[in-house]
Amino acid sequence: MAKLVGVFASSHAPLIIRGWKDVRPANQQTLTRALTELGRRIKAARPDVLVEIAPDHWVNFFINNLPSICIGMGEEHEGPAEPWMKECPYKKIAGHPKLANHILQTAIERDFEPSVSHHLTLDHGFCIPLWKGGLDPLPPIVPIIFNDLEPPFPSVRRCLQWGTMLAEAIRTYPEDIRVAVLATGGLSHSIGEPTMGEIDEPFDRECIRHFEKGDERNLIDFLNERLPTIGNGAAEIRNWVAAHGAADRRGFELIGYCNCPEVYVGCGFASWNLGARA
Amino acid sequence: MRDYWLSKLFFDLQSSAPLGEQYRADRKKILDSYPLKPEVRAAVERDDVTFLAPRVNPYLLRFYFVVAGMPEAEFLRKVRTAGAAAAARSSHG
Repeated sequence: MAKLVGVFASSHAPLIIRGWKDVRPANQQTLTRALTELGRRIKAARPDVLVEIAPDHWVNFFINNLPSICIGMGEEHEGPAEPWMKECPYKKIAGHPKLANHILQTAIERDFEPSVSHHLTLDHGFCIPLWKGGLDPLPPIVPIIFNDLEPPFPSVRRCLQWGTMLAEAIRTYPEDIRVAVLATGGLSHSIGEPTMGEIDEPFDRECIRHFEKGDERNLIDFLNERLPTIGNGAAEIRNWVAAHGAADRRGFELIGYCNCPEVYVGCGFASWNLGARA
Repeated sequence: MRDYWLSKLFFDLQSSAPLGEQYRADRKKILDSYPLKPEVRAAVERDDVTFLAPRVNPYLLRFYFVVAGMPEAEFLRKVRTAGAAAAARSSHG
C-alpha cells in the first residue's frame, strides 16, 4: 500500500519571479529561506509521487467550461505557459495516471464529483514552489486544480472533505510508493481589485493560528466569515484547507511567513508533521 | 455579471503572446473580431477600468492591462478609483 509521507503548503506569488529584483533584500532572504526549507522538507520525505493542489490562473480553463475541481490524469503535463516563467526548468512534467485514476475512483466512491483532464498545463501556481524549492528533478506530479479564481468556489468544508478523501485514496493505493501532498496559494492578497496590493497580516496570522490549533469547526467558521472580506487571492486558502484535511487536521507547522508588499502577497509556507498526533 | 465576449477577449490576449503583440500594434483590428457590445468596446478603447471591472474576473482584468501595456502604477490608481466609484454607487442605493 502507498504511504502518505508529507503534507505541505506554499504561496506562489508571480512577482517572486517577475519582480524579484524589486523585492527588498530582507524579504528576499525570508522568502528564499522559507522556499529552500520547504523544498528540503519535501525532498526529505522522498516522495515517489507528489499530489499538488493549486488553482488554474486562466491557463487551462475559461468561463465557458470551468470545473470546480479537476484531476490531472495525464502521463505528462506541460510546464508553465506564462512568458515570464520561461526560465523555469520544467518544460514537460511527468504525471502518474494510475494514482490519479485511483484518486478519481476513490472520489466517486465517496460521492465527490471531480472533473478530469488528460493533458494539463501547470502554471506558476504549480511550478513556482517546486522551482524555487529546488526540486529538480521533479517526482511525477498528480495535479488537482481547485477553482479558487472565479465563483462559484468549492465550499471550505468541501475542501476539507476533499483532503480527507485524498488521504484515504493515497493510503489505499495498492502499490508500495511514497506520496506527498503540496497545496499552493494564499495567504491574503488581492489581484485586479480595488484592494490590489493590500495584505492583511492579522488575518493571515489568525488563519495560521487556526491551522495550528487544528479545530475543524473553528477553521471553517473563521474562513467562511472572513474570506469574503479579504482580497480575492485569499480564496486559494481553500487549497491549504484540503492539505489540512489530508493531514487529518493536525500537526501544522509554519515554516515561514513574509508580509511582502513587493509581491502583493502575504506569503506563507508550512508543513504538517504527520508523526505528531495529539 | 460577467460579460462573456469581453472576458474572452481578455482571456485570449493573456493566453497568446503573438496576439498580444498584434493587439498593441493594431487594437482596432483585434477588437473587430470580437462581438463586443458598443458600450463595452468603447470602454475598452478608452481604458475605462471603472466600467470594465464589474464585467470581468479581476485576474483577467489585471492580466489584460499588463498585455495592453498600461503601467502598473496607472492600473493601481484606476482600479482603486473603480472601487471608490462602486462604493459610491452602492451608498446611493
